[in-house]
Amino acid sequence: MSRPIRTITAAVAALLLATTACNSAADGGSSDKAGSSVRGVTDDSIKVGGIVSMTTATGYSKKDTDLGAKARFDRANAEGGVNGRKIDYLGAEDDGQDPAKNLAAARKLVQQDKVFAIAPMSSTTFSGADFLQQQKVPTFGWGTLPSFCGPTYIYGFGGCMVPMPGGTISQTWPEGLKQVTGGSQGKSVAILANDSDAGTFAIRTYKQSFASAGYDVTFAKSSVPAGAVPSDWSAYTKEILRSDGGKAPDAVVSVMQTPYNIGLFTALKRTGYDGVLTDPTDYDPSLLAKSATKKALDGVHILLSFQPFEQDSPAMRQFKEDITKAAGKDVPLNMHMMTGYMSADLFLAIAEKAGKDLTVASFQKAAGAFSDKGTMVGDRAEPRGRKESFGCGALVQLKGGKYVVSAPFKCYSPIPFK
Amino acid sequence: MSDLLGFVLSGLVSGALYALLATGLVLSYSASGLFNFAHGATAYLCALAFYELHSGLGWPAVPTALLLVGVVAPALGWGLDRLMFRTLARVGETAQIVATIGLLVALPALGLWIVELLEDAGVSVRPAENQFGLPGVGPSPAKSWQLMDGVGVDSDQLITWVATAVVAIGLWILMRHTPLGLKLRAAVDNRSLVELRGMSADRLSSIAWMLSSALAGLAGVLATPLLGLSAHDFTLFLFVSATAAVLGRFASIPLAFAGGLGLGVLQNLVAGYATFAERITGFRTAVPFLILFAGLLVLTRRQRTAGTAAAVDAPPVDYLAGRSWVRRWGPWTAAGLLLALAFYTVTTPFWSGILAQGLALSLVFVSFTVVTGLGAMVSLAQATFVTGAALVAGLLMSHGWPFVAATVVGTCAAAVLGALVALPALRLGGRSLALATLALAFLADQVLFQMGWLRNGDTGWAIPRPVFGPVDLGDDRAMGVAMIVLLALVVATLSALRDSPSGRAMLAVRSAPAAAMASGVSVIRTKLMLFTLSAGLAGFGGVMYASYSTRITATDFTAMTGLIWLAVVVAAGVRRPQFAVVAGLVYALVPHLVSDYVTDSVHLPVILFGLAGLALANDPDGYCAAVPTRWHQRRAATATRTAEVSDAAPPSPEAALELRSLHAGYDGAPVLRGVDLMVRPGEILALLGPNGAGKSTTCRVAAGLLRPLGGQVYVAGRDATRERAVGRSRAGVVLAPEGRGIFPALTIEENLALYLRDRAARDAVYERFPELAARRAVPAGSLSGGEQQILALAPLLQRPPTVLVADEPSLGLAPRVVDEVFRLLVELKEAGTALLLVEEKATEVLGVADRVAYLAQGRVTWCGSRAEVEADRLTEAYLGIAAGQPKHQGPQPEGISRPWTPEGTVRP
Repeated sequence: MSRPIRTITAAVAALLLATTACNSAADGGSSDKAGSSVRGVTDDSIKVGGIVSMTTATGYSKKDTDLGAKARFDRANAEGGVNGRKIDYLGAEDDGQDPAKNLAAARKLVQQDKVFAIAPMSSTTFSGADFLQQQKVPTFGWGTLPSFCGPTYIYGFGGCMVPMPGGTISQTWPEGLKQVTGGSQGKSVAILANDSDAGTFAIRTYKQSFASAGYDVTFAKSSVPAGAVPSDWSAYTKEILRSDGGKAPDAVVSVMQTPYNIGLFTALKRTGYDGVLTDPTDYDPSLLAKSATKKALDGVHILLSFQPFEQDSPAMRQFKEDITKAAGKDVPLNMHMMTGYMSADLFLAIAEKAGKDLTVASFQKAAGAFSDKGTMVGDRAEPRGRKESFGCGALVQLKGGKYVVSAPFKCYSPIPFK
Repeated sequence: MSDLLGFVLSGLVSGALYALLATGLVLSYSASGLFNFAHGATAYLCALAFYELHSGLGWPAVPTALLLVGVVAPALGWGLDRLMFRTLARVGETAQIVATIGLLVALPALGLWIVELLEDAGVSVRPAENQFGLPGVGPSPAKSWQLMDGVGVDSDQLITWVATAVVAIGLWILMRHTPLGLKLRAAVDNRSLVELRGMSADRLSSIAWMLSSALAGLAGVLATPLLGLSAHDFTLFLFVSATAAVLGRFASIPLAFAGGLGLGVLQNLVAGYATFAERITGFRTAVPFLILFAGLLVLTRRQRTAGTAAAVDAPPVDYLAGRSWVRRWGPWTAAGLLLALAFYTVTTPFWSGILAQGLALSLVFVSFTVVTGLGAMVSLAQATFVTGAALVAGLLMSHGWPFVAATVVGTCAAAVLGALVALPALRLGGRSLALATLALAFLADQVLFQMGWLRNGDTGWAIPRPVFGPVDLGDDRAMGVAMIVLLALVVATLSALRDSPSGRAMLAVRSAPAAAMASGVSVIRTKLMLFTLSAGLAGFGGVMYASYSTRITATDFTAMTGLIWLAVVVAAGVRRPQFAVVAGLVYALVPHLVSDYVTDSVHLPVILFGLAGLALANDPDGYCAAVPTRWHQRRAATATRTAEVSDAAPPSPEAALELRSLHAGYDGAPVLRGVDLMVRPGEILALLGPNGAGKSTTCRVAAGLLRPLGGQVYVAGRDATRERAVGRSRAGVVLAPEGRGIFPALTIEENLALYLRDRAARDAVYERFPELAARRAVPAGSLSGGEQQILALAPLLQRPPTVLVADEPSLGLAPRVVDEVFRLLVELKEAGTALLLVEEKATEVLGVADRVAYLAQGRVTWCGSRAEVEADRLTEAYLGIAAGQPKHQGPQPEGISRPWTPEGTVRP
């Protein structure tokens, strides 16, 4: 190292030591100070923000999550707010499915906008989770990511939906399917997933889940390339259709995304397969708008973890009314609206229980013993939701261009995940 | 058997799309030497436009598709060529690769932004979200037919096949049977020679880009039902089809086309039959990239001196070289100290966090300055090293390892990974290396990082911020300052490394590997070291960045992230580590600043980042380096302007070519210092002089390949100084360049047809040279050196040019052939052509020359008729001691770092 470079290095190192020393002295004081006033809470308002993937490189958007949350908060405010405080919903930050942006959005909401809570958070990445947990920001969202399982400040609106070894698996899917196949006795299923770690994990989960519901799992492979949708499915369909001792299985379960399902189901139908087709992702009214998808997915049973729009109840009527009011017009409903709506709903329900003296501590205390029944995601309970999903769901079937309930919304008791 | 048939048939569908994309890649590559990473983005843009126009505005499908493919896509290609590709063709390969990577991000964002603006303006467009089962050109849903058991086709597949077949036939006719096709192929073969033959290579390049863009557009429209509206998927598709372009060695359209089709089938067969790979998670997903990687390794020709920067990638002049330490480092030190101070005074917690993030990322970015800046190798796998190191460190920390130890092991793991990735680099270079690293990055994403024990599912590993005694990096401000210290250390170490013997060895390998090897530097070891060092650095930065986020998951940094990082770093400047720090800060700060102060649209910052690539066309060394360079150029320009003396004397009326007080040079190193020469019609002027005197430079200036810094060039009494090679050639000045002035990949007949459109004229050539007639369908490259030279000169006899500038036409030829070549030259002279003949065979040339000029150190020291030439003068001219000048060479010896291409042209 040349002499000047040594000088600068030494100088900067000295500076670091000096500043960090005074920082560590000042640091303890500043974090204690925060306790005196509650972040984002005033006498008549609670500030809440959201994080949602709206624009992404893959073109997949969850932007209606924002509308769902807004609809729920609007109604809460119209009803007088939570214990006299109105919800000041800032809208959702767009994280673009980018981990760096997700964290930045969380930091912005907390450090710049000073929100009390975040609801909804819906994305395929949740790198802001650790920060929010550390900053004690109650966060509500779609519990399909592991960050919703465990951390004390992070809540999934339907509980933690990622089965963890040592935890439990929700039996909604096989139990719902029993109503379609007329029981599981002597019925065989084939399960197909993407060739990735997530796919392998899904296979492991659902193999156990369907087997313990009494189904004969004759095929369970994560073999479909995850990078791009295959243009040819014959390699996979051939194997599946011969899996039940040379015969076709009674049901084909796809644990993949919509474009894959379209390809797989089209190929299966083309061979004349007339068994049950089912997947967990295709509950999207925009699929009905296009003749190609409507045809490809016709007859498919789709798993939902909330009450289907087609199943009537006072809560559902309220939901539809709220969405129409928030959107300013009749809009086709989709599941993102439901995730936003129910994320906001869980936050409101716990905040209500926390009482007039709303602090992070009182909120957490209320959450520690929270439970209610009969919501659109079933019977909710915390802290149980940190470990497992609420275990409720339904199946709908796409039939003649619309969704029909094939297994009504119901809660099932989970099984231990081995 | 029907299985196999089914696999093949449906494999041909994606194969057809690969073929279309690969053909476009090859076309645009051959037109301007650019591998267009944004090719898939063009396809996406057309798919988006098709969707919006057809489904949104309700336009009919087929006319819309024709409009897009026939008009819109070519217009886009033309525009991009004019705006950037044309200029990019003249800069280094790194800037080229990066500029198109920028476009790859910017184009889709631009399309989405336009849709957003239209939506705001009340046009009935659909939201540009990804959707499935989008209608293509054919009926929707597609009609399907069952050919036999298990083998079916649908209408979308059929349309893809038919359209591809039509395009294949159309392209074949265009390239093989039209004059335009002949010119395009000639331009592919030898771009600068095309210019010297009076055809505008720029115009041909525009046409090639329009064709290429139209093919991408066609692929986009056809792929809409298959790929939906995901820019990401289109780009992945493009990378796969790059394999086919590699198969065609980026030059052969038929091979690329066939390769594309084969690739689709092969991919399907592997998916169908690779049951052995079921135990390896991600193997099937990775098949296309395995094929790409294998293809690159097998098919890329071993370069004579692999892995080097092209000579055009010469580093910019370091204007601060030799200045005091304060001048060089003062501003950077001050900026660092101020930034450290700012953490504790002005910045809010949010901005402290963003700054700390930017600084942590800068550590990763600095790694690019090692592999790309020092080594001139484009690595697209840096994100892999980041993920790898962070995952390993996280795994160890979860087992209770302390932060420092885990970081060290993680860094080493990344370095090992880097060494593994470097192995192919030992034989690949340039774009092949870039593609190979990209393929490996995807392989790592899809196989390595899918291993459960390493990635720990979607949870990843927690990487808590370290605490050293009183210093708790959990505070963003402390983290920021720690990053500044680390960066200062890294920058200082790298700068010291650059000035050390190893650094000089690295720079030597970069610019002249053969010479480096000759001086005992191991090219292999150096490259391996560069990659390893860079990967280790990236890994270290990755652990730091992960500790900023306090967690690492396997999907945090994908191969695509690495692509964008590279674009951001190179846009700022990759030659100095401190520029990478600027890049890191800009990357972290700008999106927030834009959203706070400019617009809410998330597309605009993306477009801005992408368009930084555009700036690379003008400042290939990035915006940080451009500041001192531009400043210096401006000062130099004013200095030259005052020095320039305008020569008011009119041109001599009898001269066919007159050079008057020409000054010319390369990158500020003067070669010609006032050359005066004049050639009359029907006269041979021989130009003699020692190596480095400026003979070839004189030829280049005379032919318009190099723009003079001062002085005039008159052609037949007309001032042609400002004309480029094409104009000069059309005015009748033909340069027979050093080496052979032929198109080796074209047949003899085609070579002749480029100069002689008229069949009768070609027949006259064959009559005169029966040895050419006998082999007219043979590629010219397979002729002997003498035959090639005759092929280059023979057509000129049929249409004698006004001026012929011949640069060593006898170089490397047997004496008998030399005689024949000189006979041809005399014949041309007799036909009235003015010849400027540069020769080293002085005795032979004196036999044919009318006048002789000696050139020494950039000046004509003597000029007179042949009769006046004295033997000792001749000796002096060769020994370089002419006219009693002191014996020393010019600062830039001729023949070094100056390829025979227009790329060597210096910008004034």
